[in-house]
Amino acid sequence: MTNRLRVLRAERRWSQAELAERLGVSRQTVNAIETGRYDPSLPLAFGLARLFGVAIEQIFAPEPGEVP
Amino acid sequence: MPVAPEGMSGEPGSGGPPLPEASLDAEATPEPAESCGGFHTPRDRRNLRRFHLRVIAATLLYLGATAALRHPAAAPVALAWLLTGLAWLLAVVAMGSYLAFLRQADELLRRIELEGLALGFGAGAVFALLYPLLVALGAPDLQGEATALVMMVSWGAGSWLAGRRFSGYTSGRASSSGPGSP
Repeated sequence: MTNRLRVLRAERRWSQAELAERLGVSRQTVNAIETGRYDPSLPLAFGLARLFGVAIEQIFAPEPGEVP
Repeated sequence: MPVAPEGMSGEPGSGGPPLPEASLDAEATPEPAESCGGFHTPRDRRNLRRFHLRVIAATLLYLGATAALRHPAAAPVALAWLLTGLAWLLAVVAMGSYLAFLRQADELLRRIELEGLALGFGAGAVFALLYPLLVALGAPDLQGEATALVMMVSWGAGSWLAGRRFSGYTSGRASSSGPGSP
Protein backbone atom coordinates (compact mmCIF):
# COMPACT_ATOMS: atom_id res chain seq x y z
CA MET A 1 0.00 0.00 0.00
CA THR A 2 1.34 3.42 -0.91
CA ASN A 3 0.25 6.58 0.83
CA ARG A 4 0.57 10.35 0.73
CA LEU A 5 0.46 10.83 4.45
CA ARG A 6 3.85 12.49 4.66
CA VAL A 7 2.90 14.96 1.94
CA LEU A 8 -0.44 15.80 3.52
CA ARG A 9 1.16 16.22 6.91
CA ALA A 10 3.90 18.45 5.58
CA GLU A 11 1.37 20.60 3.75
CA ARG A 12 -0.15 21.38 7.12
CA ARG A 13 3.27 21.72 8.75
CA TRP A 14 2.42 19.20 11.41
CA SER A 15 5.06 17.12 13.11
CA GLN A 16 4.52 13.41 13.42
CA ALA A 17 3.86 13.89 17.12
CA GLU A 18 1.20 16.52 16.40
CA LEU A 19 -0.54 14.27 13.93
CA ALA A 20 -0.31 11.35 16.32
CA GLU A 21 -1.90 13.40 19.07
CA ARG A 22 -4.75 14.50 16.81
CA LEU A 23 -5.37 10.88 15.87
CA GLY A 24 -4.88 9.46 19.35
CA VAL A 25 -2.13 7.10 18.26
CA SER A 26 1.59 6.93 18.97
CA ARG A 27 4.18 8.85 16.96
CA GLN A 28 5.74 5.56 15.90
CA THR A 29 2.43 4.52 14.37
CA VAL A 30 2.41 7.63 12.20
CA ASN A 31 6.04 7.03 11.30
CA ALA A 32 5.44 3.37 10.44
CA ILE A 33 2.48 4.28 8.22
CA GLU A 34 4.39 7.02 6.44
CA THR A 35 7.34 4.78 5.75
CA GLY A 36 5.15 1.91 4.58
CA ARG A 37 6.06 -0.46 7.38
CA TYR A 38 2.54 -0.62 8.66
CA ASP A 39 -0.88 -0.39 7.01
CA PRO A 40 -3.42 1.23 9.34
CA SER A 41 -6.70 -0.30 10.36
CA LEU A 42 -9.82 0.82 8.53
CA PRO A 43 -11.01 3.02 11.44
CA LEU A 44 -7.64 4.77 11.57
CA ALA A 45 -7.62 5.21 7.79
CA PHE A 46 -11.07 6.81 8.00
CA GLY A 47 -9.82 8.98 10.85
CA LEU A 48 -6.93 10.17 8.69
CA ALA A 49 -9.24 10.91 5.79
CA ARG A 50 -11.57 12.91 8.00
CA LEU A 51 -8.69 14.79 9.60
CA PHE A 52 -7.23 15.81 6.23
CA GLY A 53 -10.65 16.34 4.66
CA VAL A 54 -10.03 14.01 1.75
CA ALA A 55 -11.24 10.62 0.63
CA ILE A 56 -9.32 7.54 1.73
CA GLU A 57 -8.35 6.89 -1.89
CA GLN A 58 -6.59 10.24 -1.92
CA ILE A 59 -4.33 9.07 0.89
CA PHE A 60 -3.91 5.36 0.28
CA ALA A 61 -3.56 3.43 -2.94
CA PRO A 62 -2.74 -0.22 -3.52
CA GLU A 63 0.47 -1.09 -5.24
CA PRO A 64 0.20 -2.82 -8.61
CA GLY A 65 -0.78 -6.44 -8.12
CA GLU A 66 -1.67 -5.91 -4.47
CA VAL A 67 -5.43 -6.02 -4.95
CA PRO A 68 -6.75 -9.46 -5.87
CA MET B 1 7.22 0.76 -1.06
CA PRO B 2 5.32 3.86 -0.14
CA VAL B 3 8.23 5.73 1.23
CA ALA B 4 8.27 9.24 -0.06
CA PRO B 5 11.57 9.86 -1.75
CA GLU B 6 13.81 12.38 -0.16
CA GLY B 7 12.97 15.90 -1.24
CA MET B 8 9.60 15.16 -2.74
CA SER B 9 8.63 18.81 -2.61
CA GLY B 10 6.29 19.71 -5.40
CA GLU B 11 5.53 16.13 -6.22
CA PRO B 12 3.45 16.03 -9.41
CA GLY B 13 -0.14 15.41 -8.66
CA SER B 14 0.13 16.10 -5.00
CA GLY B 15 -1.95 19.19 -5.48
CA GLY B 16 -0.18 21.05 -2.74
CA PRO B 17 2.41 23.76 -2.52
CA PRO B 18 6.10 22.91 -2.40
CA LEU B 19 6.73 21.10 0.79
CA PRO B 20 9.13 22.37 3.39
CA GLU B 21 12.08 20.05 3.65
CA ALA B 22 12.30 20.65 7.37
CA SER B 23 8.80 19.27 7.84
CA LEU B 24 9.50 16.21 5.74
CA ASP B 25 12.62 15.39 7.66
CA ALA B 26 11.17 16.27 11.04
CA GLU B 27 10.93 12.62 12.00
CA ALA B 28 14.57 11.99 11.19
CA THR B 29 15.68 13.79 14.31
CA PRO B 30 14.76 12.57 17.73
CA GLU B 31 11.93 14.58 19.19
CA PRO B 32 11.64 15.47 22.83
CA ALA B 33 9.36 13.38 24.96
CA GLU B 34 5.85 14.27 23.92
CA SER B 35 2.48 13.01 24.85
CA CYS B 36 2.34 10.53 21.99
CA GLY B 37 6.06 9.88 21.55
CA GLY B 38 7.50 6.44 20.89
CA PHE B 39 5.24 3.43 20.63
CA HIS B 40 3.10 4.37 23.61
CA THR B 41 0.27 6.82 24.01
CA PRO B 42 -0.27 8.31 27.47
CA ARG B 43 -3.04 5.76 28.02
CA ASP B 44 -0.70 2.91 27.07
CA ARG B 45 1.88 4.13 29.54
CA ARG B 46 -0.74 4.41 32.26
CA ASN B 47 -2.10 0.94 31.60
CA LEU B 48 1.38 -0.54 31.39
CA ARG B 49 2.39 1.05 34.68
CA ARG B 50 -0.69 -0.43 36.33
CA PHE B 51 0.15 -3.86 34.92
CA HIS B 52 3.77 -3.66 36.04
CA LEU B 53 2.82 -2.65 39.57
CA ARG B 54 0.46 -5.61 39.86
CA VAL B 55 3.09 -7.99 38.47
CA ILE B 56 5.60 -6.71 41.01
CA ALA B 57 3.07 -7.15 43.83
CA ALA B 58 2.21 -10.67 42.66
CA THR B 59 5.92 -11.55 42.40
CA LEU B 60 6.60 -10.32 45.93
CA LEU B 61 3.68 -12.32 47.25
CA TYR B 62 4.88 -15.39 45.33
CA LEU B 63 8.34 -15.03 46.86
CA GLY B 64 6.79 -14.56 50.30
CA ALA B 65 4.57 -17.61 49.90
CA THR B 66 7.51 -19.68 48.68
CA ALA B 67 9.60 -18.65 51.66
CA ALA B 68 6.73 -19.41 54.07
CA LEU B 69 6.24 -22.87 52.57
CA ARG B 70 9.95 -23.68 52.69
CA HIS B 71 10.29 -22.65 56.30
CA PRO B 72 7.11 -23.86 57.99
CA ALA B 73 8.70 -23.49 61.40
CA ALA B 74 9.16 -19.77 60.93
CA ALA B 75 5.77 -19.02 59.40
CA PRO B 76 2.38 -20.39 60.40
CA VAL B 77 0.42 -22.35 57.82
CA ALA B 78 -2.26 -19.69 57.81
CA LEU B 79 0.27 -17.12 56.63
CA ALA B 80 1.40 -19.43 53.83
CA TRP B 81 -2.21 -19.88 52.76
CA LEU B 82 -2.83 -16.15 52.89
CA LEU B 83 0.27 -15.29 50.84
CA THR B 84 -0.48 -18.03 48.31
CA GLY B 85 -4.07 -16.89 47.93
CA LEU B 86 -3.04 -13.27 47.53
CA ALA B 87 -0.36 -14.22 45.00
CA TRP B 88 -3.00 -16.04 42.94
CA LEU B 89 -5.40 -13.14 43.23
CA LEU B 90 -2.82 -10.53 42.22
CA ALA B 91 -1.60 -12.69 39.32
CA VAL B 92 -5.13 -12.97 37.94
CA VAL B 93 -5.68 -9.24 38.43
CA ALA B 94 -2.38 -8.53 36.64
CA MET B 95 -3.49 -10.74 33.76
CA GLY B 96 -6.68 -8.72 33.52
CA SER B 97 -4.64 -5.52 33.52
CA TYR B 98 -2.58 -6.80 30.63
CA LEU B 99 -5.72 -7.68 28.67
CA ALA B 100 -7.09 -4.20 29.30
CA PHE B 101 -3.77 -2.71 28.18
CA LEU B 102 -3.80 -4.81 25.02
CA ARG B 103 -7.40 -3.96 24.13
CA GLN B 104 -6.88 -0.24 24.61
CA ALA B 105 -3.38 -0.10 23.14
CA ASP B 106 -2.33 1.91 20.14
CA GLU B 107 -2.90 -0.35 17.16
CA LEU B 108 0.75 -0.65 16.16
CA LEU B 109 1.74 -1.36 19.74
CA ARG B 110 -0.96 -4.04 19.89
CA ARG B 111 0.46 -5.61 16.75
CA ILE B 112 3.95 -5.62 18.26
CA GLU B 113 2.70 -7.08 21.53
CA LEU B 114 0.78 -9.80 19.69
CA GLU B 115 3.87 -10.78 17.71
CA GLY B 116 5.81 -10.98 20.95
CA LEU B 117 3.09 -13.09 22.57
CA ALA B 118 3.00 -15.38 19.54
CA LEU B 119 6.74 -15.97 19.75
CA GLY B 120 6.54 -16.45 23.51
CA PHE B 121 3.72 -18.97 23.28
CA GLY B 122 5.34 -20.81 20.38
CA ALA B 123 8.74 -21.02 22.04
CA GLY B 124 7.16 -22.13 25.32
CA ALA B 125 5.08 -24.83 23.62
CA VAL B 126 8.06 -26.13 21.64
CA PHE B 127 10.20 -26.15 24.77
CA ALA B 128 7.56 -27.91 26.88
CA LEU B 129 6.92 -30.56 24.25
CA LEU B 130 10.44 -31.25 23.03
CA TYR B 131 12.66 -30.68 26.04
CA PRO B 132 11.57 -33.99 27.65
CA LEU B 133 13.19 -35.72 24.66
CA LEU B 134 16.45 -34.00 25.50
CA VAL B 135 16.02 -35.02 29.14
CA ALA B 136 15.70 -38.62 28.00
CA LEU B 137 18.97 -38.14 26.12
CA GLY B 138 20.74 -36.88 29.23
CA ALA B 139 19.96 -33.17 29.47
CA PRO B 140 19.30 -31.86 33.00
CA ASP B 141 15.72 -32.28 34.16
CA LEU B 142 14.54 -28.69 34.67
CA GLN B 143 11.69 -27.68 36.89
CA GLY B 144 8.33 -26.52 35.57
CA GLU B 145 9.29 -22.87 35.93
CA ALA B 146 11.73 -23.28 33.04
CA THR B 147 8.88 -23.28 30.52
CA ALA B 148 7.45 -20.09 31.99
CA LEU B 149 10.89 -18.54 31.85
CA VAL B 150 11.32 -19.52 28.20
CA MET B 151 7.89 -18.04 27.41
CA MET B 152 8.59 -14.76 29.15
CA VAL B 153 12.05 -14.31 27.65
CA SER B 154 10.75 -15.17 24.16
CA TRP B 155 7.81 -12.80 24.64
CA GLY B 156 10.20 -9.98 25.48
CA ALA B 157 12.53 -10.85 22.63
CA GLY B 158 9.64 -11.10 20.16
CA SER B 159 8.25 -7.72 21.19
CA TRP B 160 11.69 -6.17 20.90
CA LEU B 161 12.27 -7.63 17.45
CA ALA B 162 8.85 -6.56 16.19
CA GLY B 163 9.39 -3.08 17.60
CA ARG B 164 12.69 -2.82 15.77
CA ARG B 165 11.12 -3.97 12.54
CA PHE B 166 8.25 -1.51 12.63
CA SER B 167 10.43 1.37 13.71
CA GLY B 168 12.78 0.71 10.82
CA TYR B 169 15.95 -0.19 12.66
CA THR B 170 16.33 -3.36 10.64
CA SER B 171 17.58 -3.31 7.09
CA GLY B 172 15.14 -3.52 4.24
CA ARG B 173 11.65 -2.20 3.90
CA ALA B 174 8.30 -3.82 4.19
CA SER B 175 6.94 -5.29 1.01
CA SER B 176 3.45 -6.43 0.25
CA SER B 177 4.27 -9.50 2.32
CA GLY B 178 5.92 -7.45 5.01
CA PRO B 179 4.69 -6.36 8.40
CA GLY B 180 2.21 -3.94 6.97
CA SER B 181 0.31 -6.49 4.99
CA PRO B 182 -2.83 -7.99 6.41
